[in-house]
Amino acid sequence: MKRVGITFLALGAVWAAAMASAATTVTLNVVQIFGTIDPAKVTDYTGYMAAVNLYDGLVTVDKDGAIQPLLASSWEASPDATTYTFHLRPNATFHNGAPVTADDVVYSVKRLLAIDQGPSYLFKGVLGPDSVTASDAHTVVFHLQKVFSPFLATVPLIFVVDSKTVQANVKDGDWGQAYVADHDVGSGPYMLESWTRGSEMRLKRFDNYALGWGKDPIDNLRFVVTNDEATVRSLAASGELTMTSEFQANETYTALAKMSRFRVVEQPTGTAFYLKMNTQVAPTDDLHVRKAIACATDYATIRTTIYPGDALAGPLPAVFKSDYLDTLKEPSFDLNCAKDELAKSAYAGKGPIPLTFTYVAGASFEEEIGLLMKSNLEKVGFKVSLDPEPWNRITEIASKVSTTPNVTEVFFGATYASPDSMFFTQYDSAASGTWSSMEWLNNPDVDKMIADARATTDPAQQAAIYKKLQQTIVDLQPDAFLLVQKVRHAMDKCLTGYNYVPVQSFDYNFHNYSWTCGN
Amino acid sequence: MEYFFFIVRRLMWSLLVLVGLSIVIFMIARVVPGDPARIALGPLATTEQVANLRHKMGLDRPLYVQYAVYIGGLVRGDFGQSLLTQRSVALDLRTAFPATLELVLATIVIATLLGIPTGVLAARFKDTWVDNIGRVVSLLGVVTPSFFIALLLQLLVGYYLHFLPVNGRLDPSVSFTPDITGLVLVDALIRGQPGVWFDGLRHLLLPAISLAAASLGQIARITRSSMIDVSRKDYVEAARAFGIPDLVTTFKYMLKPSFIPTLTILGLEFASLLGNAFLVEMVFGWPGMAAYGVRAILHKDFNAIMGVVMITGAFFVFVNLLIDVLLGTVDPRIRIRGARS
Amino acid sequence: MSDLALSPSATPDESSRHRAWRRGWYRFRRNPAAVAGLVLVVLVVVAALGAPWLAPSPESAGTFVNFGERHQPPSLHHLFGTDNVGRDVFSRVLYGYRVSLLLVVFVLGLSVPFGVLLGLLAGYYGGWIETVIMRITDIFLAIPALVMALAITAALSPSLMNGMIAISLLWWNWHTRLIYTTVHALRHEEYVEAAKIAGASDAHILFREILPNCISVISVKVTLDAGFVILIGAGLSFLGLGAQPPTPDLGTMVASGANYLPEDWWESVLPGLAILFAILGFNLLGDGLRDLLDVEVS
Repeated sequence: MKRVGITFLALGAVWAAAMASAATTVTLNVVQIFGTIDPAKVTDYTGYMAAVNLYDGLVTVDKDGAIQPLLASSWEASPDATTYTFHLRPNATFHNGAPVTADDVVYSVKRLLAIDQGPSYLFKGVLGPDSVTASDAHTVVFHLQKVFSPFLATVPLIFVVDSKTVQANVKDGDWGQAYVADHDVGSGPYMLESWTRGSEMRLKRFDNYALGWGKDPIDNLRFVVTNDEATVRSLAASGELTMTSEFQANETYTALAKMSRFRVVEQPTGTAFYLKMNTQVAPTDDLHVRKAIACATDYATIRTTIYPGDALAGPLPAVFKSDYLDTLKEPSFDLNCAKDELAKSAYAGKGPIPLTFTYVAGASFEEEIGLLMKSNLEKVGFKVSLDPEPWNRITEIASKVSTTPNVTEVFFGATYASPDSMFFTQYDSAASGTWSSMEWLNNPDVDKMIADARATTDPAQQAAIYKKLQQTIVDLQPDAFLLVQKVRHAMDKCLTGYNYVPVQSFDYNFHNYSWTCGN
Repeated sequence: MEYFFFIVRRLMWSLLVLVGLSIVIFMIARVVPGDPARIALGPLATTEQVANLRHKMGLDRPLYVQYAVYIGGLVRGDFGQSLLTQRSVALDLRTAFPATLELVLATIVIATLLGIPTGVLAARFKDTWVDNIGRVVSLLGVVTPSFFIALLLQLLVGYYLHFLPVNGRLDPSVSFTPDITGLVLVDALIRGQPGVWFDGLRHLLLPAISLAAASLGQIARITRSSMIDVSRKDYVEAARAFGIPDLVTTFKYMLKPSFIPTLTILGLEFASLLGNAFLVEMVFGWPGMAAYGVRAILHKDFNAIMGVVMITGAFFVFVNLLIDVLLGTVDPRIRIRGARS
Repeated sequence: MSDLALSPSATPDESSRHRAWRRGWYRFRRNPAAVAGLVLVVLVVVAALGAPWLAPSPESAGTFVNFGERHQPPSLHHLFGTDNVGRDVFSRVLYGYRVSLLLVVFVLGLSVPFGVLLGLLAGYYGGWIETVIMRITDIFLAIPALVMALAITAALSPSLMNGMIAISLLWWNWHTRLIYTTVHALRHEEYVEAAKIAGASDAHILFREILPNCISVISVKVTLDAGFVILIGAGLSFLGLGAQPPTPDLGTMVASGANYLPEDWWESVLPGLAILFAILGFNLLGDGLRDLLDVEVS
């Protein structure tokens, strides 16, 4: 019996290999399930990964964060920056062959705002249900409710759905949610072929893609859901895996790098890792306490041993080149500095200072950082209680000042390609009450600078404001700035075209990839 | 007739237990700190969005109304929407439950096929080294945490010997959806795919063995002691005296009566078997109720938690009912005892 | 035995009880499995109580990291190796037994008296009291304890305390059922009837006449239970719902060590063996006591 089975499997492998020479298939693992593929509801990295391959926006983002044409071949803004006009490509079609028209764009925006999930929060107070109109079949006009200079950077997150198909499948006024949950109604570079929830999703190339295809495109995509390191390693060893997720353990990258087929591609990202300190509750309401915590942080051990990354000097990662303040000094680990700062604080001399410290339960590197911090902080006079919480519980406790811990380990990356995404979402008092603003900074100067930058359309002036803002925030020390995340993938040497993009999962748009080994 | 009433009474009672269970778990699930609306919307949603969705989901209505709505749906087989997978819990369970069922069935097969012979051998060679080894093995099976057995097997058989796969239900290269019964081994046979069948079996072995250890130990122990009891009975002595071969006496006169305690033990063990399945599934990345349930618990996915607990409870109650009925058929005395309690 | 008989203070009743104990102890000693169980349990208790003195690196149980020494294999310096932040695994196992025993004491201390009381009431009074109590236990039995504990702990947010509360909430019903069955059989015994006729109060009959006769059943059950409480506690913390770091918890250690399999096997396998030893000890001891006291527990 066993022999028969092995022979059969071997035959299967030969057959698979034969198929592979006809069409290129990229198999990559993702570490969490695809919750939804509805572009109006996606929130997480797998959701955006599906959306960016199945759907197109009017525009997209490149590796430098610059806006590039997609469904719209050109666009212009009115001088007062309240009206944006997009001209659609005439040849774009949906996967079912229907042309992409201005009406589809209008419907997609209405649908996004009506469902009120996913990326719709970006357009609160900026777009209303009637803000978008079609002036002809290929021209769409957005009338903004107020000046919002980062607007163009948020447009890539509006994905266009085939309005006729969706409308034909509306049930009980649900905007087609039940249908779009399982069906692809997009015009993106890939089409949904099969989807087994919890285990894998297969996409195939859309031949008539509006942007066309270059040489050696990827024909089939297969996303395998597993967060088990052993499985990833064995898939790689059996020749099946083309690319790993960006969340593997160090050991897995090392093991794959030893296999001749793989190389490890490492790039800096726009995602920073912070220790967010609640500036409204004792003892972290005291600037000296916050400075003491920053001094007691062993940056080098964290960056080299625990979680590889680049140094971070302030709130903004260096990827935002033109707006980055390069005169900031890298923070350093110094327990004496921590003791001195603590002595200057209002809480000095009353015995150990209690401190609550939260991180995501189950993430072993976050636990290691927690233990390292606890050990160092207790040397200088804190009494630290470590409270790991599941991620969704963290989003919950972040909604109130009183339940927000003194210190929380949080990753934050831009959701749209503008420094505004980093500053507004984390530090503006209007954005308080979320996991990304656990500092509760509520500082009028900071608020004003963010608003000024938003109302300015001159890039140079904006950059000046952002640079000043970085210095102000560093002086307030609402965070210990741990590191800039590096994104690492082990991938087949034949697979090229990967580039980190500072927005959501846009780096997984496989239209940009190619298979350079030939068939 | 009396037997019929016994079954009806048992059925009614099982139903009542499930209703009680639904109330208990509903209370637990709804007092959980954690707002499912916020979770569904993702971390960057505004407070207003959250309030809207709470209203849409009926979370702002009184608890008893929410319960009534839930039970109303349950009767129609509707477990509500899952927050995490964004589709109906019933649909999710339809894929998760068969995976667990397959694991549990395989476990029971292994536990009985190995447990009974171990017990028989131990009884036959009472107080010899065979018996001692059998007893030590059964004891270790009972006292070792199933997740630890799972880890050890994974380490030894999977990592060091590279003999069997250590993760999942099928190899990722095998594209197969068990869409008939939901059991890979059965569906692969029906569809005539021996390669898939073999791969499914290879994936099933380690988790099933880890899970079977405890039940195997209990069954071996109970078989041994009941065999020893029976062997002292007159009719067995008589059979021996008549020169009926040893093997025949062992199997015909002694083994048959020991099925009753084995069945009883399976019923008693079933709760812990299901509980342990949660741990073993996590270790082997088995895509069953545990992976689904633990994820639901961590994400405060109410409907999914309720669904997992209710299905697990119903499964448990059903199996015990089945065992009672079987025992009632085998041994009428049990019916009377059951009817009185 | 003769010196006992000579002792003037010993009433005949006491000396016969003494004799029974001696006979029992003799039988117990001749049962190697039971003796092994006793030895294991004593070792576990000594390890737990003496951890601060026995552990080569007591600081490893608390706030301590040493990233330079992470993932060291077992050696004379680190008997069980070190974990992912460089703590001594052996020391953490010793302290881990403290957490396990704390769990046992807490859970059984809370659930046994409560469960026994309900069992006494249900078995003695019968009628609607029996119906209500026993039907509630049926509901709790309809769901695997671990699954229920999981749901409860998740509801309360994971911590050692909440894990203990969750397990206690589930454990009482086993004792209720056991005592109920025992009392059910005892309530028509002659001495109970006699006490009733003599006009003794219900409380007197329950606690002075019936309860003492349940003691041997309870003590065997409690010993066996200790092992199972450790088992279920380990399962709970294995899923990340037990004691939180840096508290050394054996189940948590197995789970986090498993991330580093197969290379750094000691981080999960050795704490796992430690759990196994404790459960094995209580189980063997419980079985031995059962034979010794000749009671039926299941």
